[in-house]
Amino acid sequence: MSTDTPDRTDAAAAETDRRGLLARLRASPFLSELLSNRLAVVGLSIILAIVLIAVYARLFLDPGALASSRLGTGIPDRHPPGWASSVPADRYLFGTDAAARDIFRRCLYGAWLAMLYGTITVGTSTVLGVGLGVVAAYYGDVTDNVVMRTMDVLLAFPPLLLALALVAVFPRELGLWRAVIALTLVYTPRFARVVRGAALKVLEDEYVDATVALGASDPRVLVRHVLPNCLAPITVQSTLNFGLAIIDLAALSFLGFGAQAGTPSWGLMLSNGVNNGLLTGKWWLSFFPGLFLAVTVLGFNLLGDGMRDALDPRMREAVD
Amino acid sequence: MVSTRFLLKRALLLVPVLFGVATLVFAILHLAPGDPARVIVGQRASQAQVEEVRRQLGLDQPLWRQYLQFLWDAARFDFGQSYSIKKGGTVRSVLIDRLPVTIELALYGQVAGIFIGIPLGIVSAVRQDSLTDHLTRIGALTGISVPIFWSGPLLILLFATYLDVFPTSGRIDSTLFLPDHWTLFGTELPLTGMVTVDTLLLGNVEAFLSAVHHLFLPALVIGIYSTALISRMMRSSMLEVVRQDYIRTARAKGQGAKITLMKHGFRNALIPVVTVIGIQFGTLLGGAVLTETVFGINGMGLTIVTAIGDSDYPVVQGTVLTFALLFTLVNLLVDVTYSYLDPRIQQ
Repeated sequence: MSTDTPDRTDAAAAETDRRGLLARLRASPFLSELLSNRLAVVGLSIILAIVLIAVYARLFLDPGALASSRLGTGIPDRHPPGWASSVPADRYLFGTDAAARDIFRRCLYGAWLAMLYGTITVGTSTVLGVGLGVVAAYYGDVTDNVVMRTMDVLLAFPPLLLALALVAVFPRELGLWRAVIALTLVYTPRFARVVRGAALKVLEDEYVDATVALGASDPRVLVRHVLPNCLAPITVQSTLNFGLAIIDLAALSFLGFGAQAGTPSWGLMLSNGVNNGLLTGKWWLSFFPGLFLAVTVLGFNLLGDGMRDALDPRMREAVD
Repeated sequence: MVSTRFLLKRALLLVPVLFGVATLVFAILHLAPGDPARVIVGQRASQAQVEEVRRQLGLDQPLWRQYLQFLWDAARFDFGQSYSIKKGGTVRSVLIDRLPVTIELALYGQVAGIFIGIPLGIVSAVRQDSLTDHLTRIGALTGISVPIFWSGPLLILLFATYLDVFPTSGRIDSTLFLPDHWTLFGTELPLTGMVTVDTLLLGNVEAFLSAVHHLFLPALVIGIYSTALISRMMRSSMLEVVRQDYIRTARAKGQGAKITLMKHGFRNALIPVVTVIGIQFGTLLGGAVLTETVFGINGMGLTIVTAIGDSDYPVVQGTVLTFALLFTLVNLLVDVTYSYLDPRIQQ
């Protein structure tokens, strides 16, 4: 070994690392279990498809054009799909709404909005919840009590109603951001609770005592030892909450407290469908955006369920 | 049995939580933009009028005094007067009017969920990996993925707009008139506010049928969701229980499979399900808010949505606190049921 040039050692090390990673991935009971679960694979495929749609919509569709009325240039309330029409401008896969906007493209752009704001909501609440949960578990005592009792208060509200009360605080101009802030506060306690439970279990393990005895600092113990061993429940919780976050974001927009008027968000499109389409029978106003929303959420639920089963059947109780 | 000591301890634990809930609601609405006094008097009123209203509402007091006053009012369930929802009326009267509407809706949905979801979950678990199991699981997963504000409009479009077999909105036929009290042995008693109960109390069969007819679709929408949730939980819980040693022991003693399953399996499997029913009651209340909006039912949900839009803060405070209280009480009930099913919890 000592005769090797430093260069070669590095390369070799990198090679073993890479091979090691691949082998570890392949040998990982979690991944093989997950990929052998047909429903989980379906879920993963749905999510990938929605991500692709979202990226496409972000790159090639103009949100301004999708938001503004096309009256005058387009045909309002066009029944889908309009293949038969001899005028190409009259062909709309999903029809058009009262402002003559193309519902198909609006649905595609909705995927971008759902994924973007969903990721921010779940990401932020995961980080906050994990931080609070780990700190509460590690320091115990007063810290634990203060953190967890605060979380209990937040958990004492029905989720959507807490979000509604919080949304009332923020100015209308924030649009979807106020829904994001409100839902982040709603979801954080769920993560904190799950992570605290997982961290408490990890902290009982002897290697944690050993690390502390070796003189590791608190942050080092938490980040290098406790956190990696809590990743499983965190991932499952994030995946399942992703579906919920997308529904709740849409729900707040549907109720009028999320996306600003005109925005091609699924929730707002559904609200438009209820206000303008129910009595007149314009089913396509509601049907298509709802379909996108439901399929996306189904994807996350399928994947989340699969992950939960793959990790440990006994975890079903720990994560709800 | 459930001991009084356990009940008392559990109820006492609620006090700090409810205190925190009230504090949070106070904080939220004091951070809300806009001056409530300005909302009441309107944009054209003079500054002097605004000041006058501020003084009447106690908004000129220091914050800590307002907070104490709020806690005292909240404890007596007095949230003052509504600014716009029911101008001049008290928030309490708004709540008394609308809470039963929402409870009725949520209750039918929850009951449907329990009575359909639990058997479905058991069948699914007992016949694990059969076609029935797969269909139930996929159905349940779809059920929790479909938002209420999509299934609702689709059901309205199909059954009300196109087939015209159910009404699109409302709680009862508009031609029917219900008195505001009923009589029992010559004494006048107040009505419950739950239309399916009231029409029965009044003995008005036509009105009762109309109420059921109106309630069917909204309850179905909530019921689908809660059935899906409960059947999922029941299935996984049952699967866990049937692998326990005591089930094997009972079978080894020669007890029949069905009896073992129902006597030993069911009761134990029910324990986690009861907890989930409690936790999910919060989601169900959120579902009721959305359902009321879709079906135009004037309950707590539609009230809070309108109140936030109109900056009617006392009504927002009242409804949010009532919802939180309701949710907390249901969870208390769940804990008591839980300890009844599994007496070890009480120790």
